[in-house]
Amino acid sequence: MGLAGNAAIVGAAQYKPEKYQTAPQMFHLEQVADLAHQALQDAGLHKDDLDGLVINGPQFHEASVFVPAMAAEYLGIEVNFAEVVDLGGCTAVAQIWRAAAAIEMGLCQAVLCVIPARMAPLAPNEDPAWMAQAMRYGGHSTAYGAPEAEFDLPYGHMGQNTGYAMIAQRYAAQYGYDKSAMAKIAVDQRFNAQYHKDAIFRGKELSIEDVLGSKLVADPLHVLEIVMPVAGGAAVIVASKEVAARAKKRPAFVTGFGERLSFKSPSYANDMTVTPVAEAAKRAFGMAGLSPKDMHAAQIYDCYTITVLLSLEDAGFVPKGEGQRFIKEHNLTWKGDFPLNTHGGQLSFGQAASAGGFSQVIEAFDQISNSAQGRQLKGCDNVFVSGTGGVMSEQGALILQGG
Amino acid sequence: MATLKPMPQATKISAPFWQALKENQVKIQQCNSCDGWVFFPRNHCSHCLSHDLDWKEVSGEGTLYSYTLTRIPTMPEFADEMPQALAVVELAQGVRVNTTLIDVAEEDIKVGMPVKAVFDKVSKDGETLLRFTSVSNDGGVREFKDPLEGLERNDKGQVQVPVSNLAALYALADNEFTPWSNSIVVDQALINAFAELSGDDYWIHTDPERAKTDSPFKTTIAHGSLVQVLQSKLTIALPFEITGFQTMVNYGSNRLRFPAPVPAGSVIKGRSKVQDVSVSHKGVQVTLEMHIHVEGNDRPSVINDLVILYR
Repeated sequence: MGLAGNAAIVGAAQYKPEKYQTAPQMFHLEQVADLAHQALQDAGLHKDDLDGLVINGPQFHEASVFVPAMAAEYLGIEVNFAEVVDLGGCTAVAQIWRAAAAIEMGLCQAVLCVIPARMAPLAPNEDPAWMAQAMRYGGHSTAYGAPEAEFDLPYGHMGQNTGYAMIAQRYAAQYGYDKSAMAKIAVDQRFNAQYHKDAIFRGKELSIEDVLGSKLVADPLHVLEIVMPVAGGAAVIVASKEVAARAKKRPAFVTGFGERLSFKSPSYANDMTVTPVAEAAKRAFGMAGLSPKDMHAAQIYDCYTITVLLSLEDAGFVPKGEGQRFIKEHNLTWKGDFPLNTHGGQLSFGQAASAGGFSQVIEAFDQISNSAQGRQLKGCDNVFVSGTGGVMSEQGALILQGG
Repeated sequence: MATLKPMPQATKISAPFWQALKENQVKIQQCNSCDGWVFFPRNHCSHCLSHDLDWKEVSGEGTLYSYTLTRIPTMPEFADEMPQALAVVELAQGVRVNTTLIDVAEEDIKVGMPVKAVFDKVSKDGETLLRFTSVSNDGGVREFKDPLEGLERNDKGQVQVPVSNLAALYALADNEFTPWSNSIVVDQALINAFAELSGDDYWIHTDPERAKTDSPFKTTIAHGSLVQVLQSKLTIALPFEITGFQTMVNYGSNRLRFPAPVPAGSVIKGRSKVQDVSVSHKGVQVTLEMHIHVEGNDRPSVINDLVILYR
């Protein structure tokens, strides 16, 4: 059951992460078209090859409903497969497997997966404050009848930081907590970012002391263990084996995937320290007929250092409770023995809203297609990619393999 | 007493939970089909989807499942509780509740520690949040404490509210009007002077003879904007004075309405109330809802939601 591995990533485009204040402002439709154009060029394909579209629904600027129709019309394409994905940071990974599944079902040949994440220009009479107001409660609903509005917000439970912090505290109580091992995740990834021309923290090296000396946000998380939101956006073209054969680059075939959504608030998890990627990765590896030790790199969704630790353990790279030791014993840089987030991860590359998850997908493609200039792994055929939405609420896993 | 922190809005489904807290009880739902305990409140069992649920009183005892200490407020409104000990408590029935721990020293907080409910009265009206504390602490009820209580007063009797005291600032938004100000007369001479100053000399304000026949009011009326600015001549006894700020800026108005006319010769008076207090990166924003009435008229002649920014 699952994918036969007949669909592949053949091209990608990603805006350089930039601070919101200085990034260009573009309509989301405009970004979709621009990113599609760049990704098609990367693949050596033409607009007319596209017959599928997967896009984000939430936070799409020009529409809240009928987003695929509006985007397809703007692009000037007709599609046999149109889909909106609403899985937060897991959206990118979720878009890829949906595209691959649609292709393997014979619905379509080439699918544009896209998330615009630069700000749109303000209307002449638009109050710039509205966005800050709208974003105030982050991913928390304030709607009447929403459980989190009624049972979380009145106590101050809001946002991602404290949710991830509580997961880390629970982990610490069960398995122990080695602050310097956790900081090393950020440090090794920062090393990688020095070799990616677009990384937002390129040129700023980091030490374990820097991380542990940075401001504590919510115990035990320091500010340098938390991603920085940036403006950006990304697109990936997933195509059939036949189309991939005429693409410019070495395709990255999607040979396994898994997805698991377990809760909205981790407070209601069966076990806060066992994350949904456990199920997702098991399914993905099983589908691909591979195991974690077969991977040449791991591109693990990293909104926080704790996300990386739990994902490494739950995806099966290291037994539960031994992740911190593993991190200390291994060099996680692209030059090391366990290449992790070889672009710097979102912690050092920047997190462009839900398009941030594409940074991991695209890095996997770059490594497999031999396009990771300056940080290219040798003989990189098999890459594990994970995506994480909400507060470990929903996670996805991909196995990508060079063809 | 309004607190501008987000407050729970009970629904038909959850009302028994909040009502029980008001009565210093923890009630959660249990399924009659599978005996499973359910939290947060639902119209169905989260274990078997049965609709056959009953509200049961429970002890409110449990253990600390996890927690964090907020070193940066999750929302500006919580700056007065810093650091908050945000917590997940697992009740003895196995369900988990998002809450905060109170009255426990940072170093004494341990995952797995036994905790018990505290009924925290967060408003004068008895609205109650469910917090938790160490079982070794006394008392299951935290009574409402008016944040303005105990603050110093100036020689006018106004309570002194430092701009840094967020709890007290929020407590100012209590939706009660001040007593009436002094009264002043708006006569034709004043209206004429304003007409000259502003250039608005429309006959409805300035020509008593024509107004007698042509105006629906049968007399001249004051400019709405004249009455608006006359608020400076009305001494309104605000019960508080905000202190400790560097600058105070009139930030404009959220709403300006002239619902009733002010005929020449009217006596006007005013009153106000604090409509809203909010905190942002810009500073503390206090919205004063100012009403000016013609004496004897219940309908205000001016409603002005004045925004004042302190920083």
